[in-house]
Amino acid sequence: MKEKVEAWLTVGIICGILLAFTVVDLIKEDRFFSETENRILASRPKYSKESLLDGTLMEKYEEYITDQFVGRDKWISIKTGTDMLLQKKEINGVYLAKNDYLIEQHLPADFSPELVEKRLALLERLVDRFDAKVMLVPTADNILTDKLPAYTEDFDQKAFLDTVRERIGEEHYVDVYRVLWEHRNEDIYYRTDHHWTTRGACYGYAAWAEAMELEEGAYNTDETAVVTNEFLGTLHSKINMPVKPDTIEYLPMTEDVPKKIVYDMTVKKDSFYEKSYLDTKNKYGFFLDDNHAFVEIKTNCKNGKSLFVIKDSYANCTVPLLAMHYEKVYVIDLRFMNGKLIPFMEGYEKKGDMDVLILYNCVHFLEEFQYYG
Amino acid sequence: MVFSSVLFLFRFLPLFMICYFIAPGRMKNIVLLLGSLIFYAWGEPVYAVLMLFSTVSDYVHGRLIESKRGTRAAKWLLVSSLCINLLLLGFFKYADFLIGTVNAVFGTTFPLFELGLPIGISFYTFQTMSYTIDVYRGEAKVQKNLLDFGVFVTMFPQLIAGPIVKYRHVAERLHNRRADIEKISYGAKRFVTGLAKKVLLANNIGLLWSIIKEAEYARMSVLTAWLGIVAFSLQIYFDFSGYSDMAIGLGAIMGFEFPENFDYPYISASITEFWRRWHISLGSWFREYVYIPLGGNRKGLPRQMINILIVWMLTGIWHGAGWNFLLWGLWFALFLVLEKMFLGKVLAHVPRLFGHIYCLVVVIVGWVLFELESVSAIGGYLQAMFGLNGRGLLDRRGLYLGRENAVLLIIGVISSTPLCFKLLEKLKKSGSGYGMALYHLGEKLVPAALLLLSIAYVVEASYNPFLYFRF
Repeated sequence: MKEKVEAWLTVGIICGILLAFTVVDLIKEDRFFSETENRILASRPKYSKESLLDGTLMEKYEEYITDQFVGRDKWISIKTGTDMLLQKKEINGVYLAKNDYLIEQHLPADFSPELVEKRLALLERLVDRFDAKVMLVPTADNILTDKLPAYTEDFDQKAFLDTVRERIGEEHYVDVYRVLWEHRNEDIYYRTDHHWTTRGACYGYAAWAEAMELEEGAYNTDETAVVTNEFLGTLHSKINMPVKPDTIEYLPMTEDVPKKIVYDMTVKKDSFYEKSYLDTKNKYGFFLDDNHAFVEIKTNCKNGKSLFVIKDSYANCTVPLLAMHYEKVYVIDLRFMNGKLIPFMEGYEKKGDMDVLILYNCVHFLEEFQYYG
Repeated sequence: MVFSSVLFLFRFLPLFMICYFIAPGRMKNIVLLLGSLIFYAWGEPVYAVLMLFSTVSDYVHGRLIESKRGTRAAKWLLVSSLCINLLLLGFFKYADFLIGTVNAVFGTTFPLFELGLPIGISFYTFQTMSYTIDVYRGEAKVQKNLLDFGVFVTMFPQLIAGPIVKYRHVAERLHNRRADIEKISYGAKRFVTGLAKKVLLANNIGLLWSIIKEAEYARMSVLTAWLGIVAFSLQIYFDFSGYSDMAIGLGAIMGFEFPENFDYPYISASITEFWRRWHISLGSWFREYVYIPLGGNRKGLPRQMINILIVWMLTGIWHGAGWNFLLWGLWFALFLVLEKMFLGKVLAHVPRLFGHIYCLVVVIVGWVLFELESVSAIGGYLQAMFGLNGRGLLDRRGLYLGRENAVLLIIGVISSTPLCFKLLEKLKKSGSGYGMALYHLGEKLVPAALLLLSIAYVVEASYNPFLYFRF
């Protein structure tokens, strides 16, 4: 008799768990978009006879119910928590590093010599044509090495940058690696995001200014102001566990120069900074209104000089620091650009009349640097 | 459909079980048949027809063999049934392999069929063959009810990954079974255990292997190579035995008693013992329907050796259409023959520890043959394992992966032995009120925790944060 009661209890618990989640899952509303994953979730597939027969309907349905499963974000946290209990130091390609740092992993195998060669060839063409400066920023895994877990082995960006330097020549190379390495004990990268901080960008600016032989205007990294203390960046999304939020800072003095900014030839603004992003998850969008294909900046600095920046999102917090030296700054994000790059640039300014800066982090550069014409 | 999915756990299973338990008496088999067809057709709508054809073919052959019993016709009907089954299996599983081999050897360019392998075909053809053979031999009564026979062939719990259930073992239960609450409770716990083995252990340890498998073997240290293949050894065991546990558990919930398929194979001290503990239902199938009919060990040692060779070539090739599987089968045949000749006697006289080490090394090296398809990959990997590629004992990658997975691997190794099971039994038998209370509490909390964790891992498998931009 006692055994029967025990058996009923066991069955009750197991069936209870399965049934409870089934019922709740069936009655809860579908979500359109997941903020944590930053993507549109699968929605209920439409029935058709063909999709039933070839099995795609079932595949889509399965994707749909898995994406929409009740408490999705919580389950993911439970999984991550278990991984941590198992003493894993890497989750979803992110290292759980010392001092609450999350650092993105970049394995050597992901960057073949062929890939490096392909990107370098594209880079050389641009450098030769425009006498451009090249500023490739190492990512945190190569600079914050003393914070990494034991025995990690990441893509050697120092060696990669030495190759770049050799190929494009000393006069085109901005040595941002050296200055970041010197300041590696400061907050030059976000703890929860893959970007560098405004402080990191200040050091990057200093390296650029040195390469440009500019004298004026090194920024004082102590003059930054906090814009939010609640930033949870992309690396936090990848592990989706509670972590200490990050601080975003900016340099108020970059707002001293009056300017007009035009995003994608339509939206006009007069500040580099968009406060509205601070209420969303994507707080880094505060800098230069997140990512745009093309940004034009006109400043009151009437010196007739112009700058083209070909860039990834690392430049978003850096461009405001550069802008004070130019009357016109054009910012191009190749990921969003259709059409030929060189004719486009020469349509704005005559060749030779402008400065050109290619500003990426090493990883984005290797993954994404691509243009036509 | 796979067991370890949101679809199965939160749509199919609840709906099916509710229908099954409210259906009265004979209706239960209709629910089970329809449920199984939906389960199968979910991923393979077209191949469900193939399975039904196979079912009807063997049903008819069984009936005809029964009516012609004792005549020469019965024998020909058996041959016809076996041919149909083996042709189906041969066509869908081995045709491209044979064509590919012919093309490679003779430089011809016969086109491949490139048909997907119907899921579970290796399992259900073996089940139906056991039926017709047993009916022919008079060891099983013919099944006159097509519905009951259909249930036997298509039953979803063991349809896609075994165990291979012989007809005579479930014949009685096809029309007369009762599931009392103790059986249901046992089945539910067994199912959850299997799910946890698959989702928590196999899948996660498998990640380690998939990383190492993709790496360059010529630059791999001894440590990394062993980590990788040990991870695969654990992965395949927990995956396969987890599926069997889930099948046995689901069967028990409905009142079936499926045969056990795994019995802690990695604690074996010889290859002979290993194959008594690994994929037991397949071993017993080959033993009963191939090895013994060939004469087994009754026709002298040389003939026995040949029989072993034949059975293990077939066992190898059953696991997949590829030369590496044949090689894998022959690898075991070699050690089984050696054990029959003298090694068995030697092992009986040395401490059991040596047997364990010998057995594990043979099995683990065997997994290299099983898992890597080309001769060059197998060669490269074995060189790395035994330090012949000159990359030394340790490297950073190996140390990193080892540290990262140490806890998981230790849990895996412990779970592949009967240690936890023995501790539980001890607790149960301790008889003290305290021990019993602890046992009953654990018996409920552990499955509940395993189930919740498994759900988290199943859901997380689709976690796909898209970080940089949004279109």
